[in-house]
Amino acid sequence: MIKRLFSPGIEHKKARWGWVFIFPSLVFFALFNFYPIFNALHTSLFRKKLLSLKPPKFIGFDNYIYLFNSPDFWNSIRATVVFTIGTFIPMVIFSLILANFIISRKRFQKFFQMAYYSPAVLSSVVVAAIWLLIFDPRGLSNQFVNLILNMPGIDHKWLANSVMVQISTMLVYFWKYVGYFTIIFLVGLASIPKSIHEAAKIDGVNAWTGFWYITLPLLKPTTILVSIMSMLQCLKTFSTQYLFTQGGAPMEPINVITLNLYHTAIRDHRIGLASAMSIILFCIMLFFTWLQFKGSRSDEVSY
Amino acid sequence: MAQYLKRKKKTSTQSFIMDMFIWVFLIIAALFILAPFVFMFTASSMPATDIMKMPYRWMPQGFYWQNYWQGIRGNDGSFIYLRNILNSLIVASTVTATTVILSALTGFGLAKYHFKGRHFVFMMILATMMIPFEVIMIPLYLIITKLGFQNSYQGLITPFLVNAFVIFLMRQYYVTFPDEILDAARIDGASEPMIFSKIMLPNSVPAIATLAVLTFKSQWDNLLWPLLVAQSEEMKTIPLYIVRFTAEKHTDEGAMMAVAAIASIPILILFLKLSKYFIGGATVFSARKG
Repeated sequence: MIKRLFSPGIEHKKARWGWVFIFPSLVFFALFNFYPIFNALHTSLFRKKLLSLKPPKFIGFDNYIYLFNSPDFWNSIRATVVFTIGTFIPMVIFSLILANFIISRKRFQKFFQMAYYSPAVLSSVVVAAIWLLIFDPRGLSNQFVNLILNMPGIDHKWLANSVMVQISTMLVYFWKYVGYFTIIFLVGLASIPKSIHEAAKIDGVNAWTGFWYITLPLLKPTTILVSIMSMLQCLKTFSTQYLFTQGGAPMEPINVITLNLYHTAIRDHRIGLASAMSIILFCIMLFFTWLQFKGSRSDEVSY
Repeated sequence: MAQYLKRKKKTSTQSFIMDMFIWVFLIIAALFILAPFVFMFTASSMPATDIMKMPYRWMPQGFYWQNYWQGIRGNDGSFIYLRNILNSLIVASTVTATTVILSALTGFGLAKYHFKGRHFVFMMILATMMIPFEVIMIPLYLIITKLGFQNSYQGLITPFLVNAFVIFLMRQYYVTFPDEILDAARIDGASEPMIFSKIMLPNSVPAIATLAVLTFKSQWDNLLWPLLVAQSEEMKTIPLYIVRFTAEKHTDEGAMMAVAAIASIPILILFLKLSKYFIGGATVFSARKG
């Protein structure tokens, strides 16, 4: 009925408005997303120096070959992989536990949500600055660990030892984001109908079996989502490592890809090489994004 | 019967222990999460010599305001931190306003107009969601340098004017909006821009608020991009000031925490006032699962 009130001319005019509305965004996407990604791909095939007046020289895949033969770049890959695995696995496990514990409470749910989420609100530089002081030899971390282990006066070298400094960066990231992922798990948990748990309770299923055989399988899509999201975030980590090295921590153990990328481009002015590095990072992340899409497609759960 | 009662009693003590365990776990986790906050605020009000005393005194004796003075004044007495705070506010609010308005407009266009090539455009926008900023930052830096936007607000703001993720969410929000209302407005003579500003915008305030908070927070937190484009002290943002202050003045822990506290107070107030939108912002990601 309403449709008939409009002539095809008006429909056509209406459609034109659609283009008008999306046009500004499209221009920006073309300039600041599509052009840069192709530009990065293009630049990665050249020897190009920032500030240099010499025209960039085409060198094919030499930048990539250089990177794959460079111990420094392999160290960055190692640092990134170690950091990602060491951070996202505990993060997923603990946020899952915390979400399940919170939802089992009748009171203070809101308080715990707010408290756990609060570090995610702080800017990552502030977070790194706070933990830089906590990891000081005379700081809280040594006092706390020594109190628990009952061995006063030992310095665990949180920022000086090459293994400890990696653990420290993981701890900072874990602290900042565990609450964030707890919230996402809580949404997933809330979408599981209560009747399923009630039915299980009537059948005499205890809490542990219920969690293991009912909650966990139903929560699989959320778990995949959280895993990939946290993994992608860990792969991009920069601020903590940057501030820690600025604050005097050794560079080599925590020289993650983004940090290396930044130094190669800005300190060493090697734009071509840095572009090759960013393309490799892009491929790694694309792989995990693809994995997420694949995972979320095949694991639709119906209640 | 007696046996049954006994068993029931056993399970209830078991569940009581479990219950206590969960409370203790949650409280310890909360202490672990909140302790660094308390540390930041207490340390910011103590002289540096007290902060590194073992064991740490959680209750400061009096308020050592010199830390805040030192943090704001800076090591060279230039008070550049105030300018940097202003920069952060300008950049974060401008990006938030433009991102939200442009994304709402684009989301509306994609959701409610059946023009040719609509699906293609939508897919292209979704594809940009997969391009991480870290990957394109060097070409962006070259573009901004070429445009002469280094050390300027334009340089800090321009790359973030649109956001594919925000567009995607706005589109999903608008798709469910009933067409009949729009058609009724058209019959009453409303133009298409008027439909957007008078009907769509007011009707999407919760979604817009959530996405605005999300955008503001991520800009407030941004370190990498300002690090590239803002070299002059006047154009630096809060994270850059903290980096410089930490690197230069590593030994003045009290002032360092004062600087951190000043940077955190606005966003923490926002969080306490608008916690609904912050937490909503975290959960929009899970909206993607079917």
